[in-house]
Amino acid sequence: MKNTSPFNTFRQYRLAGLQYDLPAGLSVFLVALPLCLGVALASGAPLFSGLVAGILGGVVVGALSGSELSVSGPAAGLAVIVTDSITKLGSFEAFLVAVTLAGLFQLGLGLLKVGRFSSLFPDSVIKGMLVGIGLVIILKQIPHALGRDTDVEDDYAFSQLADGENSLSEIYRAVMTASPGAVLISLVSILLLVYWERIVGKGANFFKNLPSALLVVLMGVGLNQLFRLYYPAWYLGDNNEHMVRIPVFKAGQNLSAIFDFPDFNILTNPAVYGVAATVALVASLETLLNLEASDRLDPLKRASSPDTELVAQGLGNIVSGLLGGLPITSVVVRTSANVFGGAKTRVSTITHGLLLLGAVALAGSALNHIPLSCLAALLIMVGAKLAKPELFRNLYREGLSQFIPFIITVLGIVFTDLLVGITVGTVVGLLYVLYTNSQATFRVVRNGSNVLIKFQKDIYFLSKPQLKEALRSLKTGDVVYVDGHHASFIDPDILAMLTDFAYSAKLQNIDYELNEVFLKKPKIRRHASIREAITGQ
Amino acid sequence: MQAFEKLLLANKAWAQDQLDLDETYFNALASGQKPKFLWIGCADSRVPAESITGAKPGEIFVHRNVANLVIHTDMNLLSVLQYAVEVLKVEHIIVCGHYGCGGIKAAMTHDDLGLINKWLRSIKDVYAQHEAEIIALPDETSRVNKLVELSVIAQVNNLVKTSIVQSAWHAEQRPTVHGWVFGLGTGLLTELVKFDHTHEVDPIFKYDFSKGAVRHT
Repeated sequence: MKNTSPFNTFRQYRLAGLQYDLPAGLSVFLVALPLCLGVALASGAPLFSGLVAGILGGVVVGALSGSELSVSGPAAGLAVIVTDSITKLGSFEAFLVAVTLAGLFQLGLGLLKVGRFSSLFPDSVIKGMLVGIGLVIILKQIPHALGRDTDVEDDYAFSQLADGENSLSEIYRAVMTASPGAVLISLVSILLLVYWERIVGKGANFFKNLPSALLVVLMGVGLNQLFRLYYPAWYLGDNNEHMVRIPVFKAGQNLSAIFDFPDFNILTNPAVYGVAATVALVASLETLLNLEASDRLDPLKRASSPDTELVAQGLGNIVSGLLGGLPITSVVVRTSANVFGGAKTRVSTITHGLLLLGAVALAGSALNHIPLSCLAALLIMVGAKLAKPELFRNLYREGLSQFIPFIITVLGIVFTDLLVGITVGTVVGLLYVLYTNSQATFRVVRNGSNVLIKFQKDIYFLSKPQLKEALRSLKTGDVVYVDGHHASFIDPDILAMLTDFAYSAKLQNIDYELNEVFLKKPKIRRHASIREAITGQ
Repeated sequence: MQAFEKLLLANKAWAQDQLDLDETYFNALASGQKPKFLWIGCADSRVPAESITGAKPGEIFVHRNVANLVIHTDMNLLSVLQYAVEVLKVEHIIVCGHYGCGGIKAAMTHDDLGLINKWLRSIKDVYAQHEAEIIALPDETSRVNKLVELSVIAQVNNLVKTSIVQSAWHAEQRPTVHGWVFGLGTGLLTELVKFDHTHEVDPIFKYDFSKGAVRHT
């Protein structure tokens, strides 16, 4: 496994890598633009705060990240928390203080190396998360592809806050109200995305480095303008809900009119610390989950450092809070778009951040001609790649202990939301782990009336019913030897059951002998030097 | 329950364990052996080759005698050696002694122990060669342990002096011969010497294979 470190990337970077990272960065930028605005809208925060978080997620977190491929920015998973917190703290400016504090907490968690525990998420759950997100993207983007843009972008919960619909009813409404212009644009986009590689494959090397995402966007803008000129009935309009809408600044506007700055007076209100802790916790959780997920998507199979990532996220949130941005986390959709866009290193996510910055500063009005339906097509393709049908087949082949937590996570994410799905999946996964560990903990062997009950490994509480059954099956006249040599730990309940059985054995005329059956084998201090020699430390 | 009955039960449990791990385990075991190691160890019950190295049945060809001696007239050991080197084609031979060895201790006394006097004689030879070095040590335990190590090295040299090892070195550049010692008080193995086919054998003990290979059967 190769470890990643920001310093190594930049030191060893070859300019040839730009041929992968720049187009990938451009693709992520195109996908991120409406997402940043959508999250801000869903959070009830100024639109500009989403863009600030997107820019900082790309440039600051991207540069320092523990992962080469993870993309960070404002996340839908936090939208509800943000909305509630703004109300609780009274103003967006007060909430910004909580964002900065949350960043400090994350920095602390990273320095304390708490990140390593992220590897406790079962593999099947992480895979379920990717597939679930893939399905949700498809479900949520179909309405946008059909020209129904009432729900905000990047709302990935099943029940939609914005319009009171859910994922499925929204699709039904979208089909009923489909706009022919949007449908045509998204269809052409999808065809282009599916066949582009094949078209490029046949010679035409010039187009090879042109990211298909850019092509799709150009095509979408072009088609919409053609509708305007020649077929106004299909025209989607400009600067309305069907379009990307970046806030446009007028020359001479002063900085404080654009940026929101934190209101540090709130520091005297204890509520701000609770909000900060919640944001830090949820943001760290989303980040670590996504980091695990991005490692699985990485074709080069690099291992991210969760602790470095927490430090990077912490610094990102400190700055985001100070400059009026939403909280940042590592985000699945943009990360997937990054991987499928062909990114090799963090240069790609930094590029996406810089492009966001450029878009805000320079090209706002031009970008507002992009129809959401062609961006929906881009995302649907990302979703399709995440939710490949063979993943279901592969997990099924690995057995029920893998498949059940996987499918529960998928269903949980599709029908509730990301964190609920992950939590339920993880709990089910852990139950499976406990169940598997409680199997085959001891063995019963019989030779005539001689019986050996041999502990294979540590005996936990879960083995009690089976062991009780084994003791019950002993017959009058049996000679029983219980060998605890291979168990360095025996659950107190089980130990009590074993010692209590001596009495009932006597009544049944069973010869019963316990060997090395202790709660815990003692460690002797003076043997510390041997342990040192064994572990080589 | 009698102690030997526990052995029979434990054997059943073991067989069941193997089957749980691999249904075909005993088919493979019955079909033949291809061990990579020959182990020459002490008969002492506390130094079982497979247990202390985590090896499985089929991995180590084992010969054990009192004090792990290699004596050039011992037909038992020489037969094991020849079969291991020429037929099984082992890649390593390990001579493994252990600290606190009863055979070594006995050889350092003047007690008349009967038949075993003859078996332990060669240990007294090793002692005689290194007497000054050994008696310089402060206490009995460290003297015994020194002789344990010196004896292991002497046995490795005895192996190297056999035409069986030398001809395999000449023809196939194997086996490597190792001298190890096991600490009963620590559970750890230490390597004392390691000779492969590039090792220079003491000239008088060197056999000449240039006149064509002679089978030493």
